[in-house]
Amino acid sequence: MVELREVKEKLFMITSLLLAILAILPIFHILFSIFYNGLPVLISAGASFLIDPPPPPGRGLGGIGPSLVGTLMLALISSLIGVPLSLASALFAVEFPDNIISRGVRVLSKALLQIPSILVGMLIYVLMVVPMGRFSMLAGSLALAIMMIPYVTTYVEEALESVPKTYREAGYALGLSRTKVVFKISVSIAKRGILTGILMGFAKVTGETAPLLFTVGKQRQLISIDPLGYTDSISLLIFDFIQTPYDNWHKVAWGSALILTSIFLSIFLFTRNLTKRVVL
Amino acid sequence: MRRVALSISDLTVKIGGKEILKRINIEIPERRILAVMGPSGSGKSTLLRAINRLLDLVPGCEVSGRIRIYDTEVYSSDPYKVRKLTGMVFQVPNPFPNMSIYDNVAIGPKMNGLVKNKKELDDLVKWALERAMLWDEVKDRLKDPPSKLSGGQQQRLCLARALALRPKLLLLDEPTANVDPINASKIEEALRGLVESHEITVVFVTHAPYQAVRISDYVAFLYMGELIEFGVTKEIALNPKHELTIRFLKGEA
Repeated sequence: MVELREVKEKLFMITSLLLAILAILPIFHILFSIFYNGLPVLISAGASFLIDPPPPPGRGLGGIGPSLVGTLMLALISSLIGVPLSLASALFAVEFPDNIISRGVRVLSKALLQIPSILVGMLIYVLMVVPMGRFSMLAGSLALAIMMIPYVTTYVEEALESVPKTYREAGYALGLSRTKVVFKISVSIAKRGILTGILMGFAKVTGETAPLLFTVGKQRQLISIDPLGYTDSISLLIFDFIQTPYDNWHKVAWGSALILTSIFLSIFLFTRNLTKRVVL
Repeated sequence: MRRVALSISDLTVKIGGKEILKRINIEIPERRILAVMGPSGSGKSTLLRAINRLLDLVPGCEVSGRIRIYDTEVYSSDPYKVRKLTGMVFQVPNPFPNMSIYDNVAIGPKMNGLVKNKKELDDLVKWALERAMLWDEVKDRLKDPPSKLSGGQQQRLCLARALALRPKLLLLDEPTANVDPINASKIEEALRGLVESHEITVVFVTHAPYQAVRISDYVAFLYMGELIEFGVTKEIALNPKHELTIRFLKGEA
């Protein structure tokens, strides 16, 4: 005799399973099409794809060297600007929760999480590109840093707040100063979460497009690491090439998409295995 | 004549305007064990946290009255100095999860500059772990994280961590509430050993009247923030004066 309760349970299981599959299907579809279309491009272009400049329209595959270097440099410089600021504001907000500035930090960092990235690009264009009279890697990095700060701040804040209060109490009970409690105990216990936040911020800005549209100058012919020079990013290259009628540029875009995805996935995997989990 | 190790006079604690402790007066000589008893919410933990000024961390907390640990006026001294005079063990075992067993014990003396070299530190760590009756169980795995220990062992590790500061006064907040009976009796044994041979005075909070009677020299009975009864354990156990104390000792309150 099958009971109604069991039927209901089975039905519920099957429904949620199907819905879960439906939800993750697009992700697999994206990954599949990127590998399906990108891998042949990378194989036929070879290692020079990572070094060479893009091909002329209609002929050959060339490479994405300048854009790849640009992407990495932009992510690096924006992290150098954004990470220390994020760490400082997160620590401040967690340590002095009642302070008016730290309340501001909390609210702003949550609000700015969802800021339309094109606005950030416009802001930097007005504040930096126009006065300096030129696009630059630095301008792009600043725009990316603005994108990154609320993200990393929120991440780090949550990591710090997840450290149970009892460890801080134990630290104070040992006569440790506030600085030591913060760094030897809170930060150290939360370090995995903090590092994850930083790397996710890094990963996020490697994929950003809109903040770079009118800040970096789309210079994709020469590899350059000059912070004040023009540069490019893989995301911009994809954005531009996919809109052209040239078949070989479409291929370059697919190959670039695979490179970008690989960067993203490797950061993700690296993060997951980076530090030993602190067992509470 | 023994010196007075801890003297609390007219201690009143308000948190957010609400009186948690009302005019508490307690005095105990050194090398004695004081058990603080009382039902939940009676202010026992607050009393402990007033002594080592962990209450400073609680927003909206006002303390009036005096507390002295030997010659140190707790509320007119630097709280960090006060905390170095006192060790504390908490209700739920909380060894630092990011440090090894060794480092958990070593961090206090290391950060407070109590030792000059590695040898002294090693000796101190061993001493503290021995006093906490944990040394034999962990001596071969000092580098392991504390999560590999059982809950009762973790609590003894916390005791060792507190002892490594060589405190004058040891505060324990229901140290055996979350450990099994065997570990609980080891902790009790360790406490007796400490007061008898190492010039430490112990204040511990407990829920269990039997435990209080078993190991303490003095008891304080708190109820709703008031000190209902305080005195030598034997006298109070044999002849409790107050109705509430009688009920609590019988296990009714």
